[in-house]
Order: sequence, then C-alpha cells, then structure tokens
Amino acid sequence: MPAGNVSLEKEKLKIIPHVIVIGAGSTGSATAHDLALRGLRVTVIERGEVAFGTTGRNHCLLHSGGRYCVTDRESAIECIDENMILRKIMPDLLELNDGLFVALTEADLAFKERFLEGCAACHIPATEISVKQALAIEPFLNPKILAAVRVPDGVFEPFRFCLAFLATARENGAAVRTYSEVTDLVCSGKNVTGVKILDHRTGQKETLNADLIVNAAGPWAGEIAAKAEVSVPEIPTAGVMVALDCRLNNMVLNRLNKPSDGDIVVPQRATSVIGTTSWKVDDPDLITIPAEHVERMITQGEQLMPAVRNVPMRAKMAVARPLIAVGGTEARDVSRTFECFDHARDGMNGFVTIAGGKTTTARAMAQKVADIVCRKLDVAAECRTRDTLLVSYRLFFQQADPRNGSSVRSGQNRSFQRSGVNEHA
Amino acid sequence: MPKVPLQIFRYKAGEPSRYDTCTVDIPDSAHVIDAIDAAWAVHDPSLTFRRACHHSSCGSCAIRINGVEKLPCVTKLSDVWDGRTPLRLDPLRNFPVVSDLVVDISSFFQRMSAADMAITCEAEAFLPFTVDSFAVAALERKAVELPEDFSRFNRFEQCIECGICMSACPTMAADDRFLGPAGLAAIYQARHKTDDPKKVEHLLGLADGEHGVWRCHSAFECTEACPQAVDPAGKIMALRRELIARRFSKMWGK
Repeated sequence: MPAGNVSLEKEKLKIIPHVIVIGAGSTGSATAHDLALRGLRVTVIERGEVAFGTTGRNHCLLHSGGRYCVTDRESAIECIDENMILRKIMPDLLELNDGLFVALTEADLAFKERFLEGCAACHIPATEISVKQALAIEPFLNPKILAAVRVPDGVFEPFRFCLAFLATARENGAAVRTYSEVTDLVCSGKNVTGVKILDHRTGQKETLNADLIVNAAGPWAGEIAAKAEVSVPEIPTAGVMVALDCRLNNMVLNRLNKPSDGDIVVPQRATSVIGTTSWKVDDPDLITIPAEHVERMITQGEQLMPAVRNVPMRAKMAVARPLIAVGGTEARDVSRTFECFDHARDGMNGFVTIAGGKTTTARAMAQKVADIVCRKLDVAAECRTRDTLLVSYRLFFQQADPRNGSSVRSGQNRSFQRSGVNEHA
Repeated sequence: MPKVPLQIFRYKAGEPSRYDTCTVDIPDSAHVIDAIDAAWAVHDPSLTFRRACHHSSCGSCAIRINGVEKLPCVTKLSDVWDGRTPLRLDPLRNFPVVSDLVVDISSFFQRMSAADMAITCEAEAFLPFTVDSFAVAALERKAVELPEDFSRFNRFEQCIECGICMSACPTMAADDRFLGPAGLAAIYQARHKTDDPKKVEHLLGLADGEHGVWRCHSAFECTEACPQAVDPAGKIMALRRELIARRFSKMWGK
C-alpha cells in the first residue's frame, strides 16, 4: 500500500501542473491561495519577507469604493464587491468601523449629490448623518464640517492579510519561499519554462521548472517581465503616508471630493495614518521621501482634524504602487483597476502578469489571473475563494518550511546584549 | 545628508557569523529602517531583514539596535546614533537566526496560538492617549443621539506580535518552553474576553503550569522594551494575583 501511494503521489506530481507565482504581496498571496484551492501545485517566490514591498507599506484601507464612485466607477464596484467578500473570508482580520466622507467647503458640499449618486450607481450603501452626530463620534473632526456621509469603509492589516492567504494556500499544498530572489527566467524558444532563484538565506542558486509563471511582482513586474523580453504598461507611482503617534479617529475619514493628496486619514490600532501623495518613480527600491510631501500631509490632514498638527509623528513611509497606464498622463489619472497580461500576445508562452489594482481587490485579481492560468493549462476548476474561510494567519509561521535550513541560536554575543542593556538603562 | 556607519550582524547557513560594516547616506530625519533599506538596496542585496508596514503595525521588523530591542521603522536615527560610532544591528535574541537579521519566530506564534487571543477586539469609542485641549472640548460636547450601531467600535489589539518581549526576557534564555511575556499577556487578554468557565479554567491552567507565570523573574524587561505599551509584565502580575486569590478561595472552600 504505502509503496503504491508513493508512486501514485509521483504520478500525480507529473500530471498536476506546477505554477510559480512571483511575489508574496497581496496579489501573489491571493493568487497562490486561489490556484492551490483549484488543486494546482503552487510555489510562491518572494525576494524578502511576506508583504516586503508595496503591500506592506499600505494605507490599510478596506475600500468601500466611495473614494472612486465618481471618478472611476469600475474600481468602485470592484471595491464594494470585494469589501463584502473579505468580511466573510477574513472576519477576524478587519477593523470594521465604517468611514465618513466629510464636506469642508461649499465645493465639497456641491460634490455631495454626485457622490451619493455615484454610491447608488455602484451599490455602495451610503447614508448621510448629521454634523452633530459626526462630531460626537469623531471628537477631533474639524468642527466646521458642513456634511458627513457614512460608507462601509474598513481597515485591514496588510502583513496579516497576506499571511492568512498564504497560510491557507500552504494548507492546500502550496510552497512559499521567502528571501528567494528571481534572478532570471528560463526561456526555451518562445516559452518561459522556469525561474532561476537565489536564496539569500543560504546563498544557494537553484532552477525551478514550472508549467506556467505568474508575475505578481507589483511595481517590480516590469523588471521581471524584461527578463523574458516582454513589457508591462505599468507606472510605478509612489505615495507618502504619515503615521501619527496616537489615534485621532474611530472611523476612516475622507474628504468629500475627488481623490486628491492628503484627503484621507485611516485609523488603525493606536495610530492614524494620513495619505497620500502621488508621483512617478524610476526605481521602486530607491524612493526618497520628499520633505514637502510630509508637510503637505500634515497641512491637508489638519483640515480634516485640526489636532493633526499637535500630535507627534510616529513614522513616515513611501512606496511605489503598480498603477497601469491607460490614457491619462497625470499620476492621479491612471486607473486604480487591475489588468491581466497574457504574454502569449507578445509571443512568449507560459508567462502571465497580473498588475495594477489594490489590496482590497487582491482576491478578485487572483480570480482573474487564476481563470486565465487554468484556461491556458487546460484545467477545469472553478474559483472557490469567494466563500472559503481563511485559516489563522498565525499558522503561517508554524507551518513546516523545509527551506529554512539549519540555524543558529541568536544571542550568542552575550557581551553585546549586556552592554546594550546598560546603554539603555 | 549624514553618512551613517552601520555594523550589521551577518549569518548564512553553514558559515560562521560576522559583522559587516558599511556607510549609508540618509537624511537626519530618517528612521533606522531607512538605513537598513539603504544598506540593502545600495550596498548588498544579499542582506536579509524583515519589514512590511513601516509604522509599527505589522511587528515584522523588530531587531536589536545597539543591543536594545526596537522596531527600526519607528526608531528615529537621531535617538539611537551618537553621530560617530557605528550603529550596531543584531537579530532578536531567544529565537533561532535564519539569516542575518531574520529570526525564526515560529515559537512566538506557537505561544500566541496556545493563548488563542483574537487579534481584534470590541472597544468603546476610543479616547485618545493624551487628552489635550481638543479632547477636553470633545468630552464637554453635549450628548448627541447616535445611530444604534455606533455605540461600539472594533479595533486591533495593541500587541503587534513583534517578538521584542521574548527577546528582552531573561527567563526565556533559561526556559525555552516558558510561555513568555506575549503568550502570558495574550492569556490574560483572552481570559478577560470570556465568561465561559471551561475556557477560563483552561487559560488559567496554562498560566499556572510549569512554564507559566511562576517562571517569570519579575525583571520587567518586557514591559520596558514593548513598543506598543502592552505591559506584559503587569499582566503576568495580574494573572498571579488572580491565581493566588483562587487558591485562597479554594482553601476556604468558597
């Protein structure tokens, strides 16, 4: 029996297609989960820790879609649909306190009708509450607000968001290799057949073969695609966020107008995070935070909550988003929606890029790319991620990873610790 | 932009550990994570370290800076660098090193799973940590009738599961099965979220066990090091008080 099982297992490995997903941000993590749930063999390759790139430095906003309901309805509908799905599949990983869109000027007030229309058209539940009520719920809100509309915004925690998808993928057989950088794609004629990786934990190089490779490298997707001599119309667009040293709001606070710089304050745990700006960058690994952007966050943020100016800053961060170029020339004009590129159209088979989007829509992005993967690999399996409850993110670090290799006990240099403690005292 | 010298712990499986030095150009206002980012992006892509949120929410980047456990994402360079001595960066203690600044934190999550504390909690509408004039004004504002579902908010727990407390704890080094500061603080939280006598019994049983609260040396290093003011030591003491009170009640047959 056991011997038979082993050969059966081997047989299975030959038959079941193997898919490599490059990137363990929200898109890659959700994609690995979707493909593993459909029964495919999946290996995730990530050059750093989970959520090391764009996803990690995220505004943590579970979009209701309100932010885009006037300017980009396609994105807005994606957001509200996914918002409702995430509430079902990761209920323990969300702060669900809704959001307010507040009008500060007559122009904002004039925008309200269009906003409510937009919400209705995108089936986003939106209700106007009185200024008095808004101020009672949010004591730090600018007392001069003219109107407030409540929408089902929420807050997630991007690192654990990814861990939950990856832990579930691992439960379904996926392998996750962090600190492993894709140094090259293996091409055979017009086919991409594998990846060359360098494991930074050991310095070892390895080649992994796959039936298909999904490029989910976010703003680094262009760099990966170039290794197969194809391109992705992506514009790495950085944004600055400022985290305050205490939490000033219960709900997500948005300016009731078209999206602009510093018009949103997302509370989370013990902080409020103001965001964001938008500018194109050449190298997503080398972003310098412009001092004037930080100041702009404070001046914009204090319009929503005057106390912003009086609170110490806890942290400031910037990261490149992987926005897709569609017509508009300004960084704010590119769509926040996502796109899947089958590079067969560029003459390269076995290689697909999923780009754009945002963490709120990661599951939908995964569904779209997994549908394409399955079609290309001739696998008949339906997407099941809409109603599959994710396992605890805490499992991720407890699941066996044969790649961790041998390790040493930390803290061998006792003298350093002691001197350190003394310095501290 | 100052040139900041760094002395970074390096280890790769099968090789002896060492310290590497390099100098990075970063602005005065930078945080230590920016220095690590620069060392990696500019000098050595083989450097492994953990990072995600950059604002003390994910807990992944925790290391020791000049020997003291900190989150580099919220540690200002100016607070830890004297302007000349290389800034020394080490991985956390009491965890196996995977490579360089990355430790295997699975033992931390095993403890959190044992305590089974949910990461989110129901909370009253928050009150700010520092009550300044704005908050006072708000508190004085007249009561307003609110929609029913506005009475309770939910939020993430204060603990970001960074592992700093376990690294700072002197008891961890002596008993590697010690439930540890975060594990015991989580047991305390979980215990106070439930009225189910079975659950309470289970949680207090864990706390009272061989590797529970009585192992703690009351050094309070965890509370000192915690970047999120969780005060694990205070919670360990509270569990001890409850356990003692229960013993007395049992003695008197109550």
